[in-house]
Amino acid sequence: MDQKNYYSAIKVRLTAIFCLLITVPMVILALFTISNLKDAAVKKIELSLGRLVDHKKEVISLFLKEKEDLLGMLVGMYPIEYLGHQENLNNLFKSLNREGSIVDLHVINSAGRQLAYVGPYASSITGKSYHDAQWFQEVLIKGSHVSDIFLGFRNVPHFVVAVTDPLKTYVLRATVNSEAFNNLLLSSLIGPNGDSFIVNREGKLQTPSRQGVKELSAEDRGYLEHHEGTSIINNGKTITATRWVKDGQWCLYVKTRIEDSLAAFYQTRNSVLIIIFLTGMAFLGLAALLAHYFLHRLEIYDRRRSELGAQMGQMEKMASVGRLAAGIAHEINNPLQMITNQAGWIAELLPDEDPALVKNMDEYTKAIEQIRHHVRRAGTITHRLLGFSRKLSSEKQSVQMNELIEEAISFVEREASYNNITIARDYHEALPTTMTDGPQLQQVFLNLLNNAVDAVGKGGKLEVRTALDAEGRLVLEFADNGPGIKPENLKQIFDPFFTTKEPGKGTGLGLYITYDIVQKLGGTIKVENRKGGGAVFTIVLPVITLGSSR
Amino acid sequence: MREFNVLVVDDEDEFRDLTVKRLEKRGLKAKGAAGGKEALEILEHSHTDVVLLDVKMPGMDGIETLRQIRIMRPLVEVVLLTGHASVDSGIEGMKLGAFDYLMKPIELEPLLEKLGDAYEKKRLHQEKIEQAQMKRHMSMPG
Repeated sequence: MDQKNYYSAIKVRLTAIFCLLITVPMVILALFTISNLKDAAVKKIELSLGRLVDHKKEVISLFLKEKEDLLGMLVGMYPIEYLGHQENLNNLFKSLNREGSIVDLHVINSAGRQLAYVGPYASSITGKSYHDAQWFQEVLIKGSHVSDIFLGFRNVPHFVVAVTDPLKTYVLRATVNSEAFNNLLLSSLIGPNGDSFIVNREGKLQTPSRQGVKELSAEDRGYLEHHEGTSIINNGKTITATRWVKDGQWCLYVKTRIEDSLAAFYQTRNSVLIIIFLTGMAFLGLAALLAHYFLHRLEIYDRRRSELGAQMGQMEKMASVGRLAAGIAHEINNPLQMITNQAGWIAELLPDEDPALVKNMDEYTKAIEQIRHHVRRAGTITHRLLGFSRKLSSEKQSVQMNELIEEAISFVEREASYNNITIARDYHEALPTTMTDGPQLQQVFLNLLNNAVDAVGKGGKLEVRTALDAEGRLVLEFADNGPGIKPENLKQIFDPFFTTKEPGKGTGLGLYITYDIVQKLGGTIKVENRKGGGAVFTIVLPVITLGSSR
Repeated sequence: MREFNVLVVDDEDEFRDLTVKRLEKRGLKAKGAAGGKEALEILEHSHTDVVLLDVKMPGMDGIETLRQIRIMRPLVEVVLLTGHASVDSGIEGMKLGAFDYLMKPIELEPLLEKLGDAYEKKRLHQEKIEQAQMKRHMSMPG
């Protein structure tokens, strides 16, 4: 369970790291791209707004100039005597005003006295003197005047254009309906929340604001400084373009909300976000997959390493146990030698005694024989421990394992059959021969088979299998369906003197010797409990051919 | 069994003395040496047929002693006796020309048998040499 948690924790961390590694640069790139896109979009809005303002300015200037030129032309064409007549002026007004943009016409002499008037305010205006009016003075000085816009008759905005002839003999003044003027400021570019209007120098609105603004806001008032060309101010929310028109008397304001004009940008941004999200998801999947793969490898590697570690531990333990056993055996052999020597000496001297004087002669002889018998027993154990009973590393011979195992089975089969024990064989048919120590391996097989026969009891079943592993080594399995080996015994099953048999029935050396032989022949032996019950001993031996050196 | 001379080399006095005693009781001429040096001295001065040599001794050990004996008295047969886990030293001893090696504990009968075999080998060996020498004498006229 802990192991599982450990691996899943690593997996989560690995996935997170992969994800961060991939997504952080992507997000940075995305933010950078989007920010750049937005900057570019805003720049584009500013640019087009600037162009719009330039264009509007041209249109307004042209409109004003047209009116001025028209009046200028009239004063140039008609002398005061002609236009001073109410009737002539009426005729002119009629022919001039088909569009309806001119509300009235005044003819005023240079002294400021009104000579003639056509228009709706005749009653209130006729005969009025304009001599002191500022605009009149301006006309006489400059030659022309265009007024600010005011609400005139029926609440319709108007402005006044006044022009004098080159000789300044009289002034022709027209009131112009500025409704047409308002329309000039319309444009789709400024969007639903945008605005466009004209203010005079004092900041008074000259055309109605489309947003219904009555007075210039403090911020907008701040932009009301005189400047050349078009000024574009971006306050983050709104872009305001201003331009002075009419010789710096009016200021044209065009405002657009940035948000309204960013539709195209948002579309691009959304595409970018979707692409990044999708690739992000793909990478996330990839990261998870990679993490999974790495974890899988790690788990396999860890398992192999712990298996190897356990194997190494077992080997180390067996080596030190072997050294210990050999040391003890050696220390015991010397006293055993002395015991047998002394007993033998007594046995040799006893016949010299006078039988009549030695009452228990037979008992002594028997006791001596017992001493020698037990020394022999002890000697057998120490010799087996030391490997003395094994032949001197005999010459290696070519061995076919299937045959060798079959031979070993033939030794135990008869005894097994008395107990109804069956032995199943599963031999790998093309098992290669190997150069090894046949007789010693024979002993190994006999040990394992005898143990298995003891383990299964009556009616049991042994299974012997030979195979080749992936690395071309010989795999020999000896399995039984007995009770198996208790888990606590698995670790010490190969230890010398470890036995589960009743005292006196086994020395506990069989598996130790088995282990020692397999080890010395360059192989490994391990034991496991089978899932279905019983134990399986697996021997792995290298295939040694004549040519290959060990 | 014919009478022959045995030298028992072992650092353990009790074992050495008792073995000498028992061999003598069986009619052999036996001597004891407590170490390699002493053994070589005895070999120098007195006639010996077979040496029973303990492999593990302090000072000059059995293998080194064996090497010296082979140089000094090539005809003398050596039987190694070991109590140690020394299949390897046994093999080494055999390679150096020991007659055989025995493991402790060993009873007298098999020991006598082995010593007898060793003596027999030595005797045959010696005979051959003597015959060869005789032939040489005979083929060399006057």
